[in-house]
Amino acid sequence: MGDSLFQLPDELLFTTLSQTFPCRDAQIRAVATLLHPHAAPCQNLVIHGTEATGKSAITAALLQALQQDTEKNEPLLRYVIISSIECITARHIYESTIAKVAEALQWQGAATRCDSVSQMLVELSKMLKYPSYPANFRFVLVFDGIDRQREAPITLLPALARLSEIIPRITSVFIVTSPPASFLRTSFVPCIEFPNYTKNEFVTILNTTSLPTAPLPTTTIQETTELWNRFTGAIHDALARAASRTLPSLQHACTSLWPRFTAPILAGTHAPREFSKLMVAARVHFQDESLLDPGIVAIRSYSSSSTTTQAQTKDNTAALPSAPPSQANTPRKAQSTTTTPSKPKSTANLFVSATTTDLSTLLPPTARLLLLASYLASHNPTRHDLVLFSTFHHGRRRRRGGLSVGMGRGGHRGAQSKHRKIARKLLGAHAFVLERMLAIFTAVRGEWDPKWLDKDSSSREMDADIEMAIATLASLRLLVRVGGAGAGGVAGDQMDRGGKWRCNVGWEVVRGLGRSMGVEVEEWLVE
Amino acid sequence: MAETHDDNPALFEEDDHRAVYIFAPAGHNSSPLQEKARPVKRRRVSSKRASAAAEVAADAEGETQSTTTAAAFPRLFGGEESAEAAGLRRQVFDTAWPVLDWRIKNVLREANRTTLENVSSFIRDAEGDATRGTRIPAGFIITGPNIVSQDLLFEQLSEALGKATQARFVRLRAAGAPNLKAALKKVIRDATAQVSLDGGGDGDEDAEVAFGRDGRKYLDYDLEGLHAFLGAQQDSSRRVIVAFEDSEAFESSLLTDLLALFHSWQGRIQFSVLFGIATSVELFQARLLKSTARQLFGAKFDVVQADLVLDNVFKSAIAGTQATLRLGPTLLRRLLDRQRDQVAGIRVFISSIKYAYMCHFYANPLSVLLADEKSLTRQLLQPEHIQAVRTLDSFKAHVEAAVDARQLNHAQSLVEDDSYLVKQMVEQRQKKQDYLMQLLRSLHLLTSMDLVPGRFTDLYVAALAGGLDLTPTIDAIKRLGADDVPALINRLLTAIQTGSPDLDLPGWEDEAEELISSLSEIRDEIEALAEQAREKGQQALKSKFTAQSKVLRTTVVAQKVQLSQDTAKLTDEDKAFGKAIDSLVDLFTHNIYSDPIDSLFLHEAWAYDAEAPYRDVFVPRPGTTFERALTRPHGYLGCECCSKAAGTLSATLPTTCILYQLYLETGSLVNAADLWSAYYALVGEESDAGLGLGEREALGRFYRGLAELRLMGFVKQSKKKADHVAKVKWLL
Repeated sequence: MGDSLFQLPDELLFTTLSQTFPCRDAQIRAVATLLHPHAAPCQNLVIHGTEATGKSAITAALLQALQQDTEKNEPLLRYVIISSIECITARHIYESTIAKVAEALQWQGAATRCDSVSQMLVELSKMLKYPSYPANFRFVLVFDGIDRQREAPITLLPALARLSEIIPRITSVFIVTSPPASFLRTSFVPCIEFPNYTKNEFVTILNTTSLPTAPLPTTTIQETTELWNRFTGAIHDALARAASRTLPSLQHACTSLWPRFTAPILAGTHAPREFSKLMVAARVHFQDESLLDPGIVAIRSYSSSSTTTQAQTKDNTAALPSAPPSQANTPRKAQSTTTTPSKPKSTANLFVSATTTDLSTLLPPTARLLLLASYLASHNPTRHDLVLFSTFHHGRRRRRGGLSVGMGRGGHRGAQSKHRKIARKLLGAHAFVLERMLAIFTAVRGEWDPKWLDKDSSSREMDADIEMAIATLASLRLLVRVGGAGAGGVAGDQMDRGGKWRCNVGWEVVRGLGRSMGVEVEEWLVE
Repeated sequence: MAETHDDNPALFEEDDHRAVYIFAPAGHNSSPLQEKARPVKRRRVSSKRASAAAEVAADAEGETQSTTTAAAFPRLFGGEESAEAAGLRRQVFDTAWPVLDWRIKNVLREANRTTLENVSSFIRDAEGDATRGTRIPAGFIITGPNIVSQDLLFEQLSEALGKATQARFVRLRAAGAPNLKAALKKVIRDATAQVSLDGGGDGDEDAEVAFGRDGRKYLDYDLEGLHAFLGAQQDSSRRVIVAFEDSEAFESSLLTDLLALFHSWQGRIQFSVLFGIATSVELFQARLLKSTARQLFGAKFDVVQADLVLDNVFKSAIAGTQATLRLGPTLLRRLLDRQRDQVAGIRVFISSIKYAYMCHFYANPLSVLLADEKSLTRQLLQPEHIQAVRTLDSFKAHVEAAVDARQLNHAQSLVEDDSYLVKQMVEQRQKKQDYLMQLLRSLHLLTSMDLVPGRFTDLYVAALAGGLDLTPTIDAIKRLGADDVPALINRLLTAIQTGSPDLDLPGWEDEAEELISSLSEIRDEIEALAEQAREKGQQALKSKFTAQSKVLRTTVVAQKVQLSQDTAKLTDEDKAFGKAIDSLVDLFTHNIYSDPIDSLFLHEAWAYDAEAPYRDVFVPRPGTTFERALTRPHGYLGCECCSKAAGTLSATLPTTCILYQLYLETGSLVNAADLWSAYYALVGEESDAGLGLGEREALGRFYRGLAELRLMGFVKQSKKKADHVAKVKWLL
């Protein structure tokens, strides 16, 4: 080929790529220059940028295009992409690299076993260094997300960066989130940053990619497009700057808000041109938290969202006559988001109450009592146990918690509050010894469980049911064992009374649990 | 491990399975029979093998027991019971339980049906759902805290989903998948194994798992291998469903890793995930990273409430007509309480029922009376049976009642004449049937009235314990209006016609003609009255019960309020309506009734109400047991020397017991040297009552005793102070 020393790939390639990936022209060109065999192929290349900025997708598409572009008579460029998410161990990444390279070169008889980087280098040399390839042949190894590789030895990255020193045909591309200074331990590695999109870019992308295809009824397609443009801009200003900074989440917000936003147009109350009126009408919807955090239950999130997706919802619920809770939630949620929109907090409250009632109805009373006792054990210091729980003198507890009140009267409060500025329940849970929690449990049980005192003494001892309840709470991660093995070198059994545990539920849940049993937990906490 | 156990036969004696036995260490035992019996290996056996192992254990037992008969049940009456009677008891049990077992399984399977259908359709539809994007379809199945009892649900899910979606179904439990590698290994192994099960050619496919199509060998945690396998299988859908049975127990980092991995494979392998969630989806979501949460396309499914399942199981297994044995009210109340208060799943309930059956037929010689007419011959009833019947409480009560009723001949023959008594016993079977029918029909009528809120279980237990209490129902009937009463009667009529399939109670139209006709009469009468009243322009019928007889009237005359009392007038129709209600209530009190179960003669033969065995087996109290064994060891060792020293120190006690007594007197930190000197003072050479042990031997025993205390979890090493052990156990 009569190729000159420096020759950029075809301009057509860039045009098609930038249609698929708008607003990434500079990056595409830079990467292409550094990878193209006839341009300025480099040995190592670091591509970095935050989540969802198109690093992996653009690299893959560009390499695909370059490979086709340079394919004249003989192969000039081959590449493989190794995704670190899919590699469980370091050995896994070596072996899949070799396997993929062999596949790309249609090489027979590559080694199947590879334990270390040096072995991988030997195998790669067999395939890439010694056989003859056309002049200027490049082989690109893309390590996607290599900074997230599990069980990676510290030498992995520097070793991969040195592959090209031994096999000059190789270009290693590292796709990472943010490279630390000289993390490859080699000098002069070109870095290309994929920055997050700016507002204009976001709007452009949203306009080209996720424009609603069907125009709204009673409006023309042009009006719809215009409205969408202004709408995405507004969404960006409202949400992207503060919270949802990535393209997918912005896209999600737009698509889920669009039906609610255009509802007044469908209802005929506003014209599509009255953007500011529409904005005022839709202001409440912008406060909906599910825009930013859609949650894992997708089916429910449809039903709460809107009117036009209602059809979808119906489809879903028709296909799924199930999900009674989601249906049960629908009216309440819909109410809180549409008809009483001035209270955006109500959704959050609903969530909390749903959680707590869930837990208190799900757990049987014994387990609930144990959970409360362990919360007390986690949040009360040991030295107050005698005061709080002792039944020695009167057969009943002498003083209810809330020591702060008594101290306030005594005038010690000032000194106390100086000592501890943060309420105890806001601090994390402390570890407690299981025996202590059980002691608290037996102490409070008589007071909290009215049926308990009616039972005869033989059935009031610790029995297997209580241990089963503890085991259940532990398997639900509501109680967590602290420190795997027990002290003294003996591997701790779960039922070891000397074991240390921690309560893993928050104050809100515990208060709800307590109230479900008629107990104000606050009274039992020493401040 | 197994080898070491084998080498040390003293570890496992065949006494291990007995509730109570006197401990005889191996050295003291010279019985050749016991030495011959090899201890059964303890090893983890799968559920399939468990039954086989049980048989082996039974065989081993058979070898050692010289008195075993063909039936595994021992002869009662101190061995006087005939082998036939014992065999018959076994036979009755063997026929009675499987019927119930089958019914219970049906109920449980049925309970999960809707959930199954919903989940399957969700998984199927999620594939084509445009809104899903690349997210992983995730079903969150809210199972309630008792994950173990949801085993059946996941089993059914794997069957149903395998059929509905041609997907590979993999079940993951937290214990079996402690880390990413192990989880992936299990996913790949299970997903590839299933095909060889239903595919047929096993050997070849296994090879393909390892090598794929192009002969490449994959790491066993490499999903690439699974991908290649699915490709080689010509499986176009390439679906794998991974079910996390106890998703709370998984490390959240593990879940995050797995989900990210599945997500990145999405498109090549269609992963769907199912989570069994014990608490709530919100709590579960709080444990996931937001970026992980965004990869899920979820839907929530509810399993039928445990209460409902319990009610259904109760109806079919305990209250239903199919139940051979009646469980008594005390036991039932306790079982139900435990279900409500403790973390005990429906499985525990079912095994408790089974255990009650086992106890009854194993230990009650009179349970032969439950056998059918054919097998229960006169010859089978030994004098001991007759004797046993005469010692029953219900026999005494029956005779006394007969004496009170001046049926002296009857009473005398009962006491003296064996054949008369046998005749009575046979008659009693019919009476029992009648009683049960009456009870169930009454309950069925009461529940179909639907006037008083209350669960069937509570009603049933109360009826067994103290007879039916109609007062709340009657009060409710009296408050009914004229329109409601005919509706109520119609409900009752249909109830009589159809019976109750849950209880396996057929309709009893033929036997209740009188009741039906009187009910219809009352209904027609009330409807006619209502019609009349309407014609007269009266608003609604009032009975004397509903209408307040005195009404306070307020009249405003010339801006002054006048209060006057007014007696509401009851029209003739109202009075007639009141009478109809009265007759209806009368009818109910005569037709809906039931006596307490223990008022029946011979109820001991067919009702089981012992609570203690159940409690000992299902709710053991290890703390109390340890404490008892350590304070009064002679009860277990059967030795004479220690029996005087109940709760006090004595040198003849085993070392551990002495140390335990000393331990009880200490504070939270125990000085080991002090403990030793106290112990040595008791057993050493210089002690008065001591054994005069030498220091070396005493020290050896002391170490052993202390080690045993540590093993039982009473003490542990303390870092707070040198040479001290910490007291760990304060409660029992």
